Amino acid sequence: MIGELVERGIKAGSKYGVSEIEVYAVRRVDTDIVGTVRGIERISSGQRVSVGVRVVVGKKVTVQGGFISKVDDVDSIVETAVKVARTLPEDPQWVSLPRKLGKTHVEGVLDPRVRNPEIEYFLEVAKQLLGRARELDRRAFTSTVSMGMSTIERAIGNNYGEAHLDESTEFDVFINVKAVEGGEESGYYYSYVAPTLHRFDPEQLVARATEVAVKTLGARRIETGNYELILIPRVFAGVIQSLIVPAISADSVQKGRSPLKGRVGSQVLSERVTVVDDGTYPGLTGTKSFDDEGVPTRRKVVFGKGVLEGFLYDSYTASIDGKESTGNAFRQAPFAPPSPWVTNIIVEPGSGELSDIVRDVKRGVVIYSTIGEWLSNPVSGLLNATVTNAIYVENGEEKFPVRGVVISGNIYELLRQPGLTFSGTVESFGRFMLPAVYIPRVTLAGK
Amino acid sequence: MVTPDLAHQVLEEVLRRGAESAVVRLQERIYESIVYDTGVLRSYSVSRVIGLGVRASVGGGVGYAYSTSLDRESIVRAVEQAISIARVAGKYGKKVFAPVKPVKDSYRVEVKVDPFSVEPKAKVDLVKDVNTNSLRREGIVSAVTRMGLERDRRIIVTSEGSEIEVDVAGVGVAHMAVARYGATIERVGDRESYIGGYEYIERKDWNTFAEEIDRLALKAVQAKTPPPGTYVAVVDNEVVGLLLHEAFGHASEGDGVVAGASILKGRVGEKVASELITIVDAGLVEGGYPVPYDDEGVPKKKTVIVEKGVLRGYLTSRDSAHELGMEPTGNARAQDITFDILVRQTNYYAEPGDWKVEELFDGISFGIYLRGRGAMGGQVNPSVGTYTFSIGPSYIIRNGEPSELVRGVVVSGNILETLREVDAVARDLKITTSVFGGCGKGGQTVRVGDGGPHLRTRKIVVGGG
Repeated sequence: MIGELVERGIKAGSKYGVSEIEVYAVRRVDTDIVGTVRGIERISSGQRVSVGVRVVVGKKVTVQGGFISKVDDVDSIVETAVKVARTLPEDPQWVSLPRKLGKTHVEGVLDPRVRNPEIEYFLEVAKQLLGRARELDRRAFTSTVSMGMSTIERAIGNNYGEAHLDESTEFDVFINVKAVEGGEESGYYYSYVAPTLHRFDPEQLVARATEVAVKTLGARRIETGNYELILIPRVFAGVIQSLIVPAISADSVQKGRSPLKGRVGSQVLSERVTVVDDGTYPGLTGTKSFDDEGVPTRRKVVFGKGVLEGFLYDSYTASIDGKESTGNAFRQAPFAPPSPWVTNIIVEPGSGELSDIVRDVKRGVVIYSTIGEWLSNPVSGLLNATVTNAIYVENGEEKFPVRGVVISGNIYELLRQPGLTFSGTVESFGRFMLPAVYIPRVTLAGK
Repeated sequence: MVTPDLAHQVLEEVLRRGAESAVVRLQERIYESIVYDTGVLRSYSVSRVIGLGVRASVGGGVGYAYSTSLDRESIVRAVEQAISIARVAGKYGKKVFAPVKPVKDSYRVEVKVDPFSVEPKAKVDLVKDVNTNSLRREGIVSAVTRMGLERDRRIIVTSEGSEIEVDVAGVGVAHMAVARYGATIERVGDRESYIGGYEYIERKDWNTFAEEIDRLALKAVQAKTPPPGTYVAVVDNEVVGLLLHEAFGHASEGDGVVAGASILKGRVGEKVASELITIVDAGLVEGGYPVPYDDEGVPKKKTVIVEKGVLRGYLTSRDSAHELGMEPTGNARAQDITFDILVRQTNYYAEPGDWKVEELFDGISFGIYLRGRGAMGGQVNPSVGTYTFSIGPSYIIRNGEPSELVRGVVVSGNILETLREVDAVARDLKITTSVFGGCGKGGQTVRVGDGGPHLRTRKIVVGGG
């Protein structure tokens, strides 16, 4: 069905005499379950069909679209887009829509159990997650569980070639475990986000959430000062997402909004840091056979042993720099304009277990969760994150839980420190696969 | 295409197929966005949301299903799905909705100039002019200017006999400037939105609006970050709005309270803030986003959450109201028809006090004046009350006066502590909304309004570079 929408849109474009046209159609089927202490709260399901068209008249470009309530909506979207495009100023930097569309072979992105969910199976899992925390520790209980099963079919084509189609699934589970004891409360969110159920272990999920919620009961602020810091993989991912990801998008670089502008080829981070963007890696949610412009995805090193090797491009930003698209076009919605963004981020691990790293800490904090890290400033590289779950460590021993302190510093200085270390094991979730990180000296604002 | 008649037909269908009660929601929303980025038209995009959602109750079980396709087959599929989900859900728990009186009403925001009939060129020219003028200012290396135009029409019919139609239009302009000074770069952004038509865009001098942002960015890039630590703070209207919405508002949402995920659970009647603090949530208020009825068709009146420091109640949907033994407050909202409702704030703010703004600074030998312009937003963990906000360039207070500007200001704390420490509230109430964003929860974004008067708190943790 969505393939037909693409063909129909391209045909309509030629009827209206456009210079170029691209049509992107997505059909999503979602089923969501939400449970709380009261039991299963909400189940919802539905399908949405969206179409986005990019119409080019000369060098005048517009993107329009939305949800489709009937097939011939596509014709009217194209018609309106053409009318608008003709009135717009030219974009002097416009070269063309991508001329070489294609697909990369990818694996681990489709799970029939997610595609055709047996609702009662997932309800049983939700029930298990809701009841299990209390069984594991009488101080703990699961306050919310949310679960989503999605199937995403995509089709894209433009006037230069035939349409490509692909299909993937996504399974998300978020659990919030609270712990209460003697007037003290704590809570911990944990999640599983992947295209398939292959690595899903509900028992491990709830056990982990319960463990952290309970061990961070009675948390307090510590004195303002410098500490050694260990960020578990999820916290590290949040920091990368907020500060590094926007800075490696060619769009930010070209617009003067990245501190990495003009630094390709230079040693930006510690030699121990290698960061790869890979839209083909099996089993991550950013894994797709083509990007949101129909360009095949691929693997590329962004930081190789700390040296900045290059930026992420879509076709528009690539042509400005005289390069090829890196297969990183991303749209926030099928009907939003594309811009360069990460597919999956993979950080190479170091060696040794996290517990070994903790054992060597003199005076530091292991951070299990933060809030507000997304409010950090990618233009300056300034990190700010408020700690919600953490443990203070002295001479390798866990002493007491910490919360409410603010981590601050410049990310490029933090990740360049001598002694920066990664754990040897990695965790995969969503678009990330990465280790825990040890940073020797970080300022925490507390008491 | 989206009409009350269609909603009634769907309602009839769902009841005929076995639902004992139901809510049908129809929606059509159009959003136009024009973005100029550093001298180039980055995008002119128009998007439309259309579709229907059905909530069916069968034997105490509840199911929600939706479709963006409105052909007969898709409608029937959605109806059947809602019923079949409700049947399964019934095995896992029953849900009771607090009773409401049926209402028939329609609410329409007055639009003098329809934003979607204004020539695209006129809109593009305005955004271009503001953006290119900004780039002429020395030190501004990059600027993004955007215009957002929106119309959102919702129809809600219920098996209890309610029929509500709400039609809201909003317009706004946002501007973000990046300034460079030596090797330092800093960004400052702000936005201004109005509920109504394009006449509000025509009335305002947007070049002056952008120039003020540029000037602040140019000053901020030369500013230092504040020394991290605990401060006495004077908080402006915008930051008060952010603080109350994030730090207190989310904790007062009834679904979280019922789930045991709120620090305010079981505290009605307790003192939770300074007695100078009164907090309300109102559907219709000047400067805010109009929510006369929620997405269950319940009227949104003014709800008092905190009265002189004492917690009086929570925000509720029909089911959370039943659980809490309260009246539904009209706070069941959904981003669009592809989502079932959650309990959300509408326009959440603090009532004004009687201090003059300048009096708040008296006697502060060293503190901080927290400013909202350029704020990025915030986040809270409502189960423990920890919050964090990235706010705009602010001023260090020395000897009772705002002195040097500081940038990169992030504040954090515990909601109850911060509000207990308030010792003065000014008389200048200001509430704003935005067509560029809103409040996020459970993967949904809804438009909200927030604000309040200036106030002073004795203790707030400030992080910084």
